[in-house]
Amino acid sequence: MATATQAGVAKLASIVGEARVLTDAASCQACAVHGRVPRCVVFAPSAGQAAQVLQCAAEQDLAVIPRRNGTKIETGNPPRRYDVALSLKEMNQVWYYEPDDLVISVEAGMKWGDLQHFLSRRGLWVPLDPPGGDKASVGGCAAAGASGPLRLRYGTLRDMVLGMTMATTEGKVVKTGGRVVKNVAGYDLAKLLIGSWGTLGVITEVTLKLFPRPPQTRTYAAAVASLEEARQLRRRLLESPLAPQRMVLLDSTTARLAGAALFGDERFQVWIEAAGSERVLRRYDAELSGWLPKAHSLGVNESNWASLADYPALWLGAWRGAAVLKASLPVAATETFIGQAEEEARASEARLACIGMTAVGVVRLALAASLPPDRLASLIERLRTQAVQLGGSLIVERCPADVREHVDAWGPPGDDLQMMRRMKQAWDPKGILSPGRFVGGI
Amino acid sequence: MQVPPLVQELIQATNEEAVLWRPEDLMLYEYDALSSRRPPEAVVFPATTQQVAAVVKVAARHHCPVIPRGAGTGLSGGAVALEGGVVVSLARMNQILEIDLENQRARVQPGVVNQDLSLAVADAGYYYAPDPSSQKACTLGGNVAENSGGPHTLAYGVTTNHVLGLEVVLPDGCVIRTGARYWDRPGYDLTGFIVGSEGTLGIVTEIVVRLMRLPEAVKTLLAIYDSVADATATVAAITAHGITPAALEMMDGLMLRAIEAATHAGYPLDAAAVLLIELEGLREAVEEEADSITAVCGAHRARQVRVARRAEERELLWRGRKNAFGAIGRLTPSFYVQDGVIPRTRLPQMLDYIAGVERRYGLRIGNVFHAGDGNLHPLIMFDSRDAQQVRHAVKAAEEIMGKCVELGGSITGEHGVGIEKNELMPLIFSEEDLAVMRKLKQVFNPQNLLNPGKVLPSGKMCGEVRVQVSLGS
Ligand SMILES: Cc1cc2nc3c(=O)[nH]c(=O)nc-3n(C[C@H](O)[C@H](O)[C@H](O)COP(=O)(O)OP(=O)(O)OC[C@H]3O[C@@H](n4cnc5c(N)ncnc54)[C@H](O)[C@@H]3O)c2cc1C
Repeated sequence: MATATQAGVAKLASIVGEARVLTDAASCQACAVHGRVPRCVVFAPSAGQAAQVLQCAAEQDLAVIPRRNGTKIETGNPPRRYDVALSLKEMNQVWYYEPDDLVISVEAGMKWGDLQHFLSRRGLWVPLDPPGGDKASVGGCAAAGASGPLRLRYGTLRDMVLGMTMATTEGKVVKTGGRVVKNVAGYDLAKLLIGSWGTLGVITEVTLKLFPRPPQTRTYAAAVASLEEARQLRRRLLESPLAPQRMVLLDSTTARLAGAALFGDERFQVWIEAAGSERVLRRYDAELSGWLPKAHSLGVNESNWASLADYPALWLGAWRGAAVLKASLPVAATETFIGQAEEEARASEARLACIGMTAVGVVRLALAASLPPDRLASLIERLRTQAVQLGGSLIVERCPADVREHVDAWGPPGDDLQMMRRMKQAWDPKGILSPGRFVGGI
Repeated sequence: MQVPPLVQELIQATNEEAVLWRPEDLMLYEYDALSSRRPPEAVVFPATTQQVAAVVKVAARHHCPVIPRGAGTGLSGGAVALEGGVVVSLARMNQILEIDLENQRARVQPGVVNQDLSLAVADAGYYYAPDPSSQKACTLGGNVAENSGGPHTLAYGVTTNHVLGLEVVLPDGCVIRTGARYWDRPGYDLTGFIVGSEGTLGIVTEIVVRLMRLPEAVKTLLAIYDSVADATATVAAITAHGITPAALEMMDGLMLRAIEAATHAGYPLDAAAVLLIELEGLREAVEEEADSITAVCGAHRARQVRVARRAEERELLWRGRKNAFGAIGRLTPSFYVQDGVIPRTRLPQMLDYIAGVERRYGLRIGNVFHAGDGNLHPLIMFDSRDAQQVRHAVKAAEEIMGKCVELGGSITGEHGVGIEKNELMPLIFSEEDLAVMRKLKQVFNPQNLLNPGKVLPSGKMCGEVRVQVSLGS
């Protein structure tokens, strides 16, 4: 086996060059996923070579996990097997940029921060604040279907991706969509790849719709005494003509971790960020001061939002060994879910932190406890059951390795699992891409 | 007349009133809004998902193609029974099953007519955003199949951006649910893959859509131009300024005059082109955007920018736009609509090119289209009794399509590929791209019994024959 793998590694080197294949212990260790260490790290310099690497790996039956900076690599189940870390670090070019048309095509390895910086020169941006922040990559965000609070106003990558190219395990570079904002020619493969977590193909280039950066933003922060108050506020906002960019409900610990001051001994804070001209912001001033009597800025600004976007770092920095969870729910159930999660946590003497994007139906949680791993796992399962009963789902984004053995990252699949399995089979018949990491053991 | 065995079984799967099979009854189902082909063997009107599944199983036993059909307003031949078979009309599955305003969702059957959904929630202050010009007739199932757009999808996105979950009958009669009532359900986004698949992956029997809040303020502007080039340059400039109106439509002089004669919408008869621009949102934002857009129009030599003062005036302007295809009957016995897309910065160049094609072939071409997203609808006018004109119309269409591709665009923005453009797919996709699409289609539709002959190239017909057949009339 070892020699067969060595021969495989040599073949990979013949595709990308010796210098782009690392086999030393430190490099391999740095790409470990849930403690599984690959045999080599391969750097693909182009889509074509990424495709050849995949084809070669399929022929040699080597399991591959694509990666960039690893900001979200821990999400998912432990890989059944893992031989090659395929890094897209070298793929960070802009291939096409038409600022007047509000369109850009970039390689998948480009870092989110670099992309935004590049666009800011023309006052443009991609309005997405993904977990991992600036260090996240374009391809990684797409593969993870990543999004943050900005989705309230702008939607997610699913709404912004105009086209994509991907490398397949058959060694092909395949394209879908295009570079125009409206296009229905052919099946939309990008939808399949977005949120496929590296199990179908390797995303190599993404074409995105761009937006002008708003001239000004202003954040309103207010203390929220109860979940009932939070619910009323969310309803009022969604029924109003206001269209803020972001709104989050934070427990006071998270607010403090993200650098905000507290008003007093409030349980929660709400942050609402409006964007627009001075005149538009004055309207927000007027409306929101009516709803949030004690609202003021607390000095919450872009940097607080940025630390919130990188919530895993925020929480894990404070609570080592915490589990980080994401519940997706019908909007109307979000506060109820937070309440139930609080109760469960209290009953298990666990600490809970939350970021509720209640107006879009996403609640992120951190759970920290000095519980044995199986007890923490069953607490997570109870939260999941509650999310499911409320009509949603819950995934485990991060958790300690010993907890992971007891809890599935994704939760129960639906009656479309059979079709998903067949999809996987069509893309990756040998099962070499991130095997076992996804829903239903895919 | 003897009832054929296939029909008997279809009746068993549904009931007598739900199946049409006599030749005179089938004639209506030979065509959609693009073309006319051959009649199907039968048309079935199931009332429930179970009946759809049962019908699909009967057809599979007979190894007979199944063609889903909504209202038949499709413009790419998607609902046509190319190889015969059983047409499954979803028209009677037209119930709005649930309206959930707090979650801004509705669950509907596929036969619900697009506009009926918006009307059902309007009093509560909500609407369903994608608004094809055919919205008074087309069904939400058809919209899902075509991933339809409309004037107001510029700012809010097309059908796929508003559909969260589906119930689907697969070609083997199995029923699955994809997606959910919330975004981000873990697993492959099969919903996103099925939207826009033109009825070739499964029959959609239930749809969960997003509803949106009606805006506080709406302003409709009509910018009037003495030159087409100035109008198209304005569109490019509005995009470059980063203003995204709710809608940004263009009509040229030829179309204006035809529409005005049919609708009396109040369009200027002597203009070379107009832009119909709508702004929506917060009052303050709408006012500011109206000012900036008026300035951009002025800088590009708009002769006048009219602002609709009342709701009736606004509705009239839109009625004219939405009835444009109907109005063209006054100008020509036959026409052929194209649906190309180009980067918006290339609009001036493209409209120039179309004018050149018009001159070269001596055919009139009208333009009424979704300018804000670069989605052209050149209407090529001809007389189908004149073989030379038919040939020229087809050549003209092909050249326009080719130019769209050359400028970095697409061959269809919203009308779908169907049987009209499937042989043109190699213009924008490589053999390898198409091979993957073929393989993924087989995941759902392994026997190719569901809506065969659509979307992917068959390689059977050469271009000219294909389009002439589909021009039909
Ligand atoms: C005057 C006019 C204006 C138009 N304006 C626009 C416009 O602005 N924007 C736009 O995008 N389109 C427009 N169209 C095109 C057309 O109206 C749309 O494509 C519409 O979505 C088709 O809906 P339908 O119910 O008529 O579907 P049909 O024409 O009956 O079917 C269309 C396709 O959908 C499939 N299908 C139908 N129902 C289902 C189902 N339940 N499950 C699976 N597959 C199904 C059919 O097999 C076929 O392939 C216009 C058409 C006309 C005639």
